[in-house]
Amino acid sequence: MSLTNQGVYWRAIDRRTFLRWLGWGGETACLAACGTASTPAGKGQKVIVTFWTPGGGGDFCTALDAIARDFESHHPSIAVAATQCGTGEQEFNEVLLARIAAGNPPDATVLWTSPAALAARGALLPLDALMPQARYAPAENWPPAVLASCRFAGQTYGLPVTAGSCGMWYNREMFEHKGIPASRADFPKSWDELRRLSKEFTFWKGDTLQVAGFMPWHAVEDLPIWSALNGAQLYDAAHRQYTIDAEPNVAMMEYAVDWLNQEYKGDFAKVTRSGNWEGYEIEGRQPAFIAQRQAMFVTYSWNMGLNSFAQSPYTWDMARLPVGPGGTKTVAGYWPNWLAIPRGARHVEQAFAWLDYMSGVGVQAWFRNFPDLPANLQVRRDLLPTALVDGKGQTFAQDIMHFFRDQLDSATPMWDSPVQDFATDQLRRALEQIMYKVATPRSALAEAQKACQGALDKVLQAGS
Amino acid sequence: MAATRAQQARRGGTRRRTARAGLLFVLPWLLSLLLFTAYPVLTTLYLSFTDYNIVQPPRWIGLQNYRTMFTADPAFWTSVGNSAYYALLAVPLGLAGALGLALLLNTRAPGMGVYRTLIALPVLVPPVASTIVFIAMFDPDNGLINALLQQVGLPTVGWLTDPTWAKPALILLSLWGLGASALIFLAGLQEIPQALLDAAAIDGAGPWQRFRHVTLPLLTPVILFNLVMGVISSFHIFTQALVVGGTTGKPLESTLMFMVHIYRTAFRYFAMGHAAALAVVLFLAVLVVTLVIFQSAPLWVYYEGNRGSHR
Repeated sequence: MSLTNQGVYWRAIDRRTFLRWLGWGGETACLAACGTASTPAGKGQKVIVTFWTPGGGGDFCTALDAIARDFESHHPSIAVAATQCGTGEQEFNEVLLARIAAGNPPDATVLWTSPAALAARGALLPLDALMPQARYAPAENWPPAVLASCRFAGQTYGLPVTAGSCGMWYNREMFEHKGIPASRADFPKSWDELRRLSKEFTFWKGDTLQVAGFMPWHAVEDLPIWSALNGAQLYDAAHRQYTIDAEPNVAMMEYAVDWLNQEYKGDFAKVTRSGNWEGYEIEGRQPAFIAQRQAMFVTYSWNMGLNSFAQSPYTWDMARLPVGPGGTKTVAGYWPNWLAIPRGARHVEQAFAWLDYMSGVGVQAWFRNFPDLPANLQVRRDLLPTALVDGKGQTFAQDIMHFFRDQLDSATPMWDSPVQDFATDQLRRALEQIMYKVATPRSALAEAQKACQGALDKVLQAGS
Repeated sequence: MAATRAQQARRGGTRRRTARAGLLFVLPWLLSLLLFTAYPVLTTLYLSFTDYNIVQPPRWIGLQNYRTMFTADPAFWTSVGNSAYYALLAVPLGLAGALGLALLLNTRAPGMGVYRTLIALPVLVPPVASTIVFIAMFDPDNGLINALLQQVGLPTVGWLTDPTWAKPALILLSLWGLGASALIFLAGLQEIPQALLDAAAIDGAGPWQRFRHVTLPLLTPVILFNLVMGVISSFHIFTQALVVGGTTGKPLESTLMFMVHIYRTAFRYFAMGHAAALAVVLFLAVLVVTLVIFQSAPLWVYYEGNRGSHR
């Protein structure tokens, strides 16, 4: 082809034609891009279920994939696609909700946000019609308080596949060293007893807290438990009413402030600067309990699988939480992983079969890898975390597992508000204001109450 | 007459063709502006008047989001206060620090190229990584900064664990990235004619007088640029505040910046309408502050060839 020919050929396409072609090309490309990536399975073909999790790391997702292969061997007509392990730099809920809005969500997902909150926004499918016929998922197979976190407007929008229950961890050696009875039966039954015991251990050196007995409630996630221990609640799901500033809750926080004043110099800044009094590592700071600088603290069952606890050089034990002046019985709390089916999922039945399997069978493999406590009552109670067996022996591990399963049975409702995350942040704000003494318990809780009820009413109004 | 008309028509046709060709050339940029800037801005404005949670369609609620923001959002005024505190301290400190660095980099010391590269390098470090390094440095027990304070006999502080010190710590952290401003100042310094500085020296001006009466006035356009960019970026501080204080601005909401409040309102509370209203308010605030700075520019910015603005 000569240059002249090329030139003639080029001139034959005028600008208008070129732009028209460009337009058609662009339109075709757009339509192709907007089309769905997956196609419905034909007869005899496997249905591919897509499955997401907000994160958890490579090992966790590898474990989920292994469970999926096991599931596929029992369900030849269903394949579970490789788990979408988080959403990269974008926030998981942002991506999930955008995909739901676009009509292209995953078929099933793990959630770290309360299903009640997502259901109130129309993001999840109710599972009630599917649950009764399932092998593991029927409502009666879950502790009621735990399943409550999945319920909104009388329907169930998720399955609490695991729920780490909490308890009072205490260092037996520190007790024995001071000649204090260390058996579970001897552990304080009331807040007053706990406070007296705590004082035995607390020791300051100047402005540095060297050793703490028990740090009164300062973790926001545990606040509903302390409220229930004092005979109250923070949120009444049945009446869709926050009760944050109810008198027993004000009394509960005044009790904590008084404790802080008497035992911890009334200075929370000094306390937090002196160490990490939580149950997990914070910015490189190990929990004080691990360093034997704290005699007692409340944390959750998954810690028993961590080497720092399972292989600790000292002995520890668990006790039930003491009851407040306004309470009548001990309760526990829980921290779940939920499974759910987003609205607009394409393969609902197959996705539910996968979630049902995960609830009863898959969760056992999950537990072997990461000791999140299975919540389903059909799961055998003699599952033991390997690290704990190795570190503390079979008998101890069995005893601790029974303890945590019992705790789950006596859990108080939590995570059940349509504005869960908002309320958690408002409560954290109130709690910090109280502990740092920039507000009184009454005023801080009243402000949190107003904000939470306002946000709740707004969401419920939009939903109606 | 007819020939003239034909000529005019030809010229008109040429102009139209030229205009069309020009439009075609700028079309990619125009489309990008419309799609990725104008559309989101207008959509944000619209969403600020709605109740919107991504999944359900937006519902028009008029000014309710703005009313809630000013009267029933406890974190709004806290985040406004935090952002203002940060901007008021971080911007002047950053400008002074960057100018000081630029003056040092403008000397004829040996190995200056290496120093300039070293000063610019922190800009390349991802903000999350540098913030994590600073968190370790600010650690009250084992951090480098408290260790240095102890070495010189000064009292140590809680830094990021103490509500009083968390914001100052964030401001110190912001100085890590002043290499970019320093390089802009350096470019400005190198534009200053040596003859002016020499003339001032011959007239008996010392180093401080040369800086005060020659360098600084000639540098004011660069100061204006860095000031505007600094104010805008200080209002937009997000990553560092989020890594340090999470979505709650711990401790005691002392690191809850306005952008973090917008983010958590949108993606933690799913209140997109409310978050859009917050974004509109931020946009207006930055716009007003920027306009005030530009309005004040004739009073203190010296432009060569514009004698009226020289004070």
